[in-house]
Amino acid sequence: MKNQVYSILVGGKAGEGVKKAAQVIGSILSSHGKHVVQMDDYQSLIKGGHNFSVVSASVEDVFTVYGTFDLIICFDKRSIDEHAASLKPGGSLFYNSDDGDFADGIPLPLSSLMKRHYTDPRNVSIAATAVICSVMGLSPDLMSSVIKKQYKLNFAENIVYAQSVYELVQIRSAFLLNSVSNEDYKYHSGNQLIVLGAWYAGLDFYYGYPMTPASSILHYIALKKESLKMYAIHAESELAAINMAIGSAIAGCRAAVGSSGGGFALMQEAFSLAGMAEVPLLCVLSSRPGPSTGVSTYTAQEDLLFALHQGHGEFSRVVASPDSFERAFTLAAELLSLAWQVQIPVILLTEKHMSEGMANLKLNYSKLPDTEVTPADLEAKYERYQVTESGVSPLAFPGDAPSAVIKWSSQEHQASGLRTDAAADIVLMKDKRQRKTKLLIEAIRAFQRVAEYGEGENLVFAYGSTVLELREAQKHCEIPFKIIAPIYLEPFPEAELLPYQGKIAVVVEHSCSGAFAEFLSWKLQLKSMHNILKYDGRQFDPIVLAQKLTEVFNA
Amino acid sequence: MLDLETKHQNTWCLGCGNFGILNAFKNCMARLVEEETSLDEIIMSCGIGCHGKIFDYLALSGIYALHGRSLATAQGIKLANPDLKLICFGGDGDSLGEGLEHTLFAAKRNMDITLIMHNNGIYGLTTGQFSPLSKIGYKGLSTPQGNIERPFEPIPLLLEAGATFAARGYSAKTEHLSDLIHAAVRHKGFSFIEIMQPCVSYNNTYQLFNQRVKLLDTIPINRMHTLELARNKDEIYIGIFQQEEQTVYHESFYSDTNPYKQRLSSSQRKEMMNEKE
Repeated sequence: MKNQVYSILVGGKAGEGVKKAAQVIGSILSSHGKHVVQMDDYQSLIKGGHNFSVVSASVEDVFTVYGTFDLIICFDKRSIDEHAASLKPGGSLFYNSDDGDFADGIPLPLSSLMKRHYTDPRNVSIAATAVICSVMGLSPDLMSSVIKKQYKLNFAENIVYAQSVYELVQIRSAFLLNSVSNEDYKYHSGNQLIVLGAWYAGLDFYYGYPMTPASSILHYIALKKESLKMYAIHAESELAAINMAIGSAIAGCRAAVGSSGGGFALMQEAFSLAGMAEVPLLCVLSSRPGPSTGVSTYTAQEDLLFALHQGHGEFSRVVASPDSFERAFTLAAELLSLAWQVQIPVILLTEKHMSEGMANLKLNYSKLPDTEVTPADLEAKYERYQVTESGVSPLAFPGDAPSAVIKWSSQEHQASGLRTDAAADIVLMKDKRQRKTKLLIEAIRAFQRVAEYGEGENLVFAYGSTVLELREAQKHCEIPFKIIAPIYLEPFPEAELLPYQGKIAVVVEHSCSGAFAEFLSWKLQLKSMHNILKYDGRQFDPIVLAQKLTEVFNA
Repeated sequence: MLDLETKHQNTWCLGCGNFGILNAFKNCMARLVEEETSLDEIIMSCGIGCHGKIFDYLALSGIYALHGRSLATAQGIKLANPDLKLICFGGDGDSLGEGLEHTLFAAKRNMDITLIMHNNGIYGLTTGQFSPLSKIGYKGLSTPQGNIERPFEPIPLLLEAGATFAARGYSAKTEHLSDLIHAAVRHKGFSFIEIMQPCVSYNNTYQLFNQRVKLLDTIPINRMHTLELARNKDEIYIGIFQQEEQTVYHESFYSDTNPYKQRLSSSQRKEMMNEKE
């Protein structure tokens, strides 16, 4: 059925395995031919409180999760209180009847079953796997093989417990029944896709400090140490992390750092160092509501101007934001490759929604850039900052260049890398660095700089994960509109956006100041018909967004 | 004859303790080269301060890093290519003020790096403010009524943090200092050298040090004894206080890998991607 999206919510306390339960559901749906997307809503605590995860599935592409559900699985009473009202008419709500009653739901005595079947009961979350397998009409054998793979601890007890829950579920979903098996699609988070893209483009080292929602980059790379020969170091601070990354880069290894707003604030000085010393560096800035510590586990787009203006002093940088999960993969590769081509720091700007959201996709390698860098001509006397027409000086690393004296510097310097404060030297070097912008703009032409979705006279501008919300909203809006999503924000894709100069458009962003709208007004003289601003830390329900857009277009 | 000259104009004050450090270092380099170490393997990393100018006076590869961050940058270089010998220069402000966390963590990790700390007891280049090692009562521009903070004790601090080589030298005893630097560079693990360095402009301690500096002629019998000797202010002992072998960070982290020399090429990554599918 066209546009049919089946949404599942799993709710419970932190520490109960809610997110994992949803991931398993997502994986199962993915391997049965569905397009899947997942979003986790969790609080900044370790146990207790309330966490919930949503999985939305469709036979077509589905870009973001919805806010009303066909299936709700509640591990505790609070989940019922929070989400029962969001159940769709005809939907099913399963709840843990050992934690209270709910007349409109289907009771499952999850806690007692857990206590019965486990010698060391932990949590009821495997029940979610049992429910989905039953609702999908999957065999108990298939359920066993999924559990064996996904819940390795206490495997035997897991199966018996799951079976006991499975048998109690009578509901079947017409939409999910007879799903076709398909292992082509892999389920990944935005952060994981960024890592894979960067790795493809040559990433060797990642230096990080835990900060939500960037921490999972550090974790994932650490996990992949042996299989991908990529090294993650959890440093003593963000200050350490970025300076260490710069060190590894000047020794010839490709390096990256990642954080959220606060961590990035700490990294500013070294970001500026990368600009002065011309060090290739990939930085992943994943936003959450600010300012300051803000709301650590929610989403926002408050760091646009911050990213554009990172680092004191004047130097080129790239700032780009992925508008889809596929783009997170390719953009990370593009950005790392640009960093090494032009010897500048680059920022992949995203937000919690994309970083920690998950989607299934088939990774497309054909679009990935070629990433080798031409080595220096080492016959001549090597000078790190040799003045060239393009502004880019040949690179050399210790060990490659016998007798070469390779000096990098945070201070203004001569071509040799030695410090200078002479007027002529300053102008020479600043001009050299400035010249690189031309090469940079040329290099970016090889990549897609703007994404457009849909057709219509009504124009809607957005960037990053807001585009996911808009693409889904497009399915529900009677009035056609065109989404224009700049991927590259700096250098600004003037040529591609020229047709929209001076036009009237709606701008949608997760900001309270409307910074993106102002940015577009500055760069493109875009007149904002209306700014749709959401800044409560949550993503848009596409249906609600579609309604808002309809109101705006009708006005 | 080893030539490490850069022809860059030297801007240290006449009589600066840094000249002694520079000479000692050059002599050490000559000795390393005689021992068949290639200069290409030696990387220097400096912070910002009078000490940092040494970057412009030595024809060695390296980085003029951010104030306080030279040790962090050096660790990143070392981790990428552990065959390199990293020599970090820092001032007392750079290494124990702005960069304190990096200094302590490099020691904690037993990173195979040498830190040469130019201890002149003040901030020289920014015109004479107090530093983490200034004595109580020091009157500088930011403490005109006199410094009220107790100074750190660098060698005990670094030993507590995990340094496996700790030594003290004096910029005016260049031969002795050269030997110390040599031993530090040859030591596998984190080597810390505190160099007592008079500042002719803001903290001229030549007379004081000439009276009090004494060669450490006993090998300390235990940690307590070591700390006692290191803390002594009446007799400022110079020599090696501690030297022991312990596992170095990079070997624990990735054994005998050299990430730079063994980094996966573009085509290898392409192949691995295809295999994953």
